[in-house]
Amino acid sequence: MTPKRILSAKRSRKLEGSLFIAPWLIGFIAFLGFPLVFSLFMSFHTVKILPKKIVYDFVGVKYYREILFNSSDLYDKLIPYFQEVVIMIPVIVIFAFMISIMLNQKLPGRFLFRAIFFLPVIFSTGAVLMSFINQGEGNLGFLERFNIGGYMDMFLGDSSWAKPVKTVLNQFVLVLWYSGVQILLFIAGLQTISTSAYESARIDGATPWEVFWKITLPAMSPFILLNLIYTVVDMFTFPSNPVISLINTGNYGFNSALAWIYFAIILVFLGIVILIYSRINRKNAGVNR
Amino acid sequence: MKVDVATRVKQKFSTKRGLRQVKYTILGREMNQGLIFKLILYGIFIVTSYVYLNPILKMLVKMVMSAKDLIDPTVTWIPSSVYLGHVVEAWKLLDYPKSLSISVLIAISTAVLHCISCGLAGYALARLDVPFKKTILFLVFLAFIIPPQVVILPTILMYTKLGLNGHLLTLILPSIFGFGVKGALFVIIFRQFFSTQPKALEEAARIDGASALRFYIRVMFPLARPAILVVLLFSFVWTWNDTYYPRMFLGSSGDMPLALKMSFIDSQLTTFIKNGGLPEYLAEPIKMGASFLVILPPLILYLVAQRYFVESVERTGLVE
Repeated sequence: MTPKRILSAKRSRKLEGSLFIAPWLIGFIAFLGFPLVFSLFMSFHTVKILPKKIVYDFVGVKYYREILFNSSDLYDKLIPYFQEVVIMIPVIVIFAFMISIMLNQKLPGRFLFRAIFFLPVIFSTGAVLMSFINQGEGNLGFLERFNIGGYMDMFLGDSSWAKPVKTVLNQFVLVLWYSGVQILLFIAGLQTISTSAYESARIDGATPWEVFWKITLPAMSPFILLNLIYTVVDMFTFPSNPVISLINTGNYGFNSALAWIYFAIILVFLGIVILIYSRINRKNAGVNR
Repeated sequence: MKVDVATRVKQKFSTKRGLRQVKYTILGREMNQGLIFKLILYGIFIVTSYVYLNPILKMLVKMVMSAKDLIDPTVTWIPSSVYLGHVVEAWKLLDYPKSLSISVLIAISTAVLHCISCGLAGYALARLDVPFKKTILFLVFLAFIIPPQVVILPTILMYTKLGLNGHLLTLILPSIFGFGVKGALFVIIFRQFFSTQPKALEEAARIDGASALRFYIRVMFPLARPAILVVLLFSFVWTWNDTYYPRMFLGSSGDMPLALKMSFIDSQLTTFIKNGGLPEYLAEPIKMGASFLVILPPLILYLVAQRYFVESVERTGLVE
């Protein structure tokens, strides 16, 4: 093995790696990189589509101004939806976590239940769920049944949060429908915890409660983050989401600006989620050690 | 005196043991083995299953109710006879044979292409020497979080330039490169899977001087069966249900996949009712019939694949 040989081997391996990733990178440039830059470009221009060519007139931040200060679309449609999402995310993730831990128990008939619990993965996108929503299937009716609405008014009063909280509670069934993929990810995560860890904890005389806090939860924390991110992304690309009807092929410049503002809001959202997660995680790590 | 103590100790122990037996049966040796715990679990499962199955059952029932049953308020769950007229109506409205073949074509080709392209990318990111690996990983993550709305308009312009607008290829093309509906997520799934595989295999292959691509096709890709299954199913179902891309790309062309056709049925039915060609109470069963026809193929696929699928989710790799 001369040094030259080693170098060339390394280089050829790098080449092989590049070869594998090349199709994806080409796709990235074509379907994401270029469109991303181009939509940013369009958001500062008025786009006129003429039969022969497309004309771009530079208008600066006019559209951004319009959306942020002079239009009601963003505030009337998006803000209530964001409030709903803020409530839904923890509900979905916690529910999925609980269900996945239960499904992971060695119970007779768990395969049947698993098959049922993965059903939402198939239905929870697209027109079918929309028709369920329109039927009012998402409504449990327990707000009316137990008069929770009255209590809520006492608690939240007239704050802008009262309505989204009520909506989420009213659509509780829908929240369950959204958690198909999350349950799946959590189950896959639970499978990665080795049984020996549980056994040794049991031999040491740890109670199930302690086992959960000391073994299950720390091992699952990356999956919790994954699910949080997935849920945020999913909620924001969902067909029932109001912004999707706003961005269409009408006014290219205006809509590009709107899409970018929307993207910025999602990024802020994700940033907050990751920040909260890392805070809590650090705290727990401090406790555990 | 001594004997007395001994018997008393024995007695104490035997009653204790008996009590413990009872406690173990009811509460279990571990928390998750007791009767009470199991009953609670089953209770929660059954309630949640009901929540999931209720709309589906309702759909099936509503779909086969004749007009007489629909008006009759005493009939809620069990129709007096099975009437298939609504389904036939929905079949016609959906232009079922044509839309179905379009949907099947797009969903299957997308799913297969996703497995190939995302598998390659995932494997490279998990195991190979890729220059700027960290950056590329970040790009994958970026691709996952960017909402399609941000890039949709330039993509449409691009397709128009290429003269592809309204062509079915527009829906398949991105998946060749690992994009399309949730493509980035599939790259992440494959990467996750390959990084759990033992390294010994690659080392052996490298010593034998096999090229990476050949080794991947021969050994690694077949090993990835669980991941392939998950990606196949997800990709198929999500592409099947997706209405956003078809609506944006196909626009005015007459060829529509099922899910998109379904979203137009609402407005069609409303027009019918307005023109007096259809009594109002018939709209819903026809919609239900249409929903059923749209769901049916993925549902059949799921029922066939679910056993393997559930196992695939269970199995994260070769090693426990």
